[in-house]
Amino acid sequence: MVFALIILYVITLISISITERFRDYASIIAMQGWILLFIVLFKLHSIHISELFFVLAETLIFKAIIVPAMLFKIIRKTKTNHIYAIGQSQFPSLITSIIALIASIVTTYYIADTTSNMVFFGVALYALFSGLLLIIRRKRIFSHLVGFLVIENGVFLFSMAIGIEMPFLINIAILLDILLVVLMLGMFLSKIGTSLKSIDVDAETLTTLKN
Amino acid sequence: MLTIYFLATLSIVAVLCLAKDRKHTIALSAIFYALQMYFAVDIILNHIGETQLSFFTFDNLGVLCFSLLSVVSAMTFYHSIRYLDTETNAQFRLYNQLLILLSCAITATYFANNLAVTWILIEATTIFAAVIVYHRRDKKSLEATWKYIFVCSTGIAIAYLGILLISSAAVDGELSYVALASAINSGNMLYMKIAFIFILVGYSSKMEIFPLYTVGVDANLVAPTPASALISSGLVNAGFVAIFRVFMIYKDTPIFQWISNVLIVAGVASIFIGVLYLRQTNNYKRMLSYSTVENMGIVAIGLGIGGYGLYAAILHVIAHTLIKSGMFFQIAQVGKKYGTYRINRINDYLKYCHIGGIAIIAGAILLLAFPPSGLFVSELMIVRQIVILEKWWLLVVIVLMLCIAMYGVLNQVIKLSYTESKRKTTNYKIDIIGVWLSFGLIIAACILGLWQPVWFVEFINEILNMYSV
Repeated sequence: MVFALIILYVITLISISITERFRDYASIIAMQGWILLFIVLFKLHSIHISELFFVLAETLIFKAIIVPAMLFKIIRKTKTNHIYAIGQSQFPSLITSIIALIASIVTTYYIADTTSNMVFFGVALYALFSGLLLIIRRKRIFSHLVGFLVIENGVFLFSMAIGIEMPFLINIAILLDILLVVLMLGMFLSKIGTSLKSIDVDAETLTTLKN
Repeated sequence: MLTIYFLATLSIVAVLCLAKDRKHTIALSAIFYALQMYFAVDIILNHIGETQLSFFTFDNLGVLCFSLLSVVSAMTFYHSIRYLDTETNAQFRLYNQLLILLSCAITATYFANNLAVTWILIEATTIFAAVIVYHRRDKKSLEATWKYIFVCSTGIAIAYLGILLISSAAVDGELSYVALASAINSGNMLYMKIAFIFILVGYSSKMEIFPLYTVGVDANLVAPTPASALISSGLVNAGFVAIFRVFMIYKDTPIFQWISNVLIVAGVASIFIGVLYLRQTNNYKRMLSYSTVENMGIVAIGLGIGGYGLYAAILHVIAHTLIKSGMFFQIAQVGKKYGTYRINRINDYLKYCHIGGIAIIAGAILLLAFPPSGLFVSELMIVRQIVILEKWWLLVVIVLMLCIAMYGVLNQVIKLSYTESKRKTTNYKIDIIGVWLSFGLIIAACILGLWQPVWFVEFINEILNMYSV
């Protein structure tokens, strides 16, 4: 079951590379949140009940509900819709994403040791590459926020690959930190959209800070 | 002790919400900085080596940086009063609340004895610093804030990957630096190498070194100048402490030389970028920010080459904190007087403030590591270690880059002080007490170059022995 969910997660990562609408981005991020929730449910049943409850709450409330809701709110507020102002082929993005997937598999094969979960390790690496590709290749800053969220989900998977269990207090602090940062990013993204009075806010618009 | 500090901070920040005018805001904020100074003295006298609240230890490195922070943050507060003279009480109050919270988060970062706790606090500094950067609420500050939060958070997420990799070596998930120093040799060394790179990349946004140095530069440019002094010294030191602690847990591993080489590469890249942009910029705040990139690059090289370089790196951090914050405070006065920080629009400052002009020239000379600067001593020690190691290419690169930096900075600063100007200035009356106070920081760096008492040398040497297995 976990393997099927992981395959589904990889599919969401491929589809996020060829998505053209911001609504689809938000839907995919929501879907990733739910997939992670079920992965946690199936994989971490052996940990202490209080910790399991915390991780479940984290994935359900934060990753599957709050973050996607925030993304949809930003889309409504800034009226951003397409990732490009004009239609472009998504084929190069698809090729790049598949190359990233192959690179992740090869890297995992060579560097992951037996103490780590190879499948989770590889998919987490692919999520990291996918997030970075979104940030580098897309111009709209909304895509950058989505790229950051994809990286955050990758980090979550990576922690499952390594299998580290941090103290409860630290886990809560980490979660609060990430939640605050994501909320702040969302808030400032909305402000940028409003301040620049444009539905096409992209990274090239943000070039006032020069030497 | 630390519980009282955190509670006092939160209480003051909460009570500040009720401050009805500037006087109340100033009085309440002043209480925090006085308390912070008291805590610094008390820790030095009575609590060195103690662990409190499980996750915080008053070790020498933390105490040293906290002492510097307590001075710099108090001066930041003092200079902000005059600097933010047109702000409403609500704006001024929020700024002070954030400054206090930032100081508190930085303090906690200095004392954190756990890898994950350091990460949490570094992320917390991002949140507070970002809102300070957004203080002006204009297009530039919005852009700088977005970039600051986004790049720092992405970097720190990558640093978290590094922490997870290091934690694969931890025994029972124990992530204290002391425990990790003992356990790290049992881990997969390839993981440990990747972990260090991830952590270095992530925290480079705080230490303002290559590769994520840019956000710090932009933040310094846009933030109110007294706050830039705190970001460029206190926050940069937090990044340094975070990287230094991780670096030291690798001390007894077979990959330590490899880790050291990574730091040398990051340091050389930082010096190169810092010097290159330092000459190109037409803004004094940016110039000082790029100088931070350059100086932190020197610190990274000092750590990387080891030997005398380690002592030199700590000394460099101390002297840099004093001079850089002093220079930012001086430049804040210049900016208020001329209404701009553009280099081509500021001349003849000596005419308006003799002592301020002298302080800026002296600060620039000391920042460029001319004797008797503390930076001169540290750079000389680094050069000495490079010669011992016979890394001639590194020597050539450093000397060449420092010469270019000297030309660039002196050229700009002499223009500021001497070149005749017919431009109109604002009616701002220069705060002579503020000028003298910040000159005091620059003079302190000078004294450090001339005289280092035995207890001071021993104090730093103890830092270099931390986490010895």
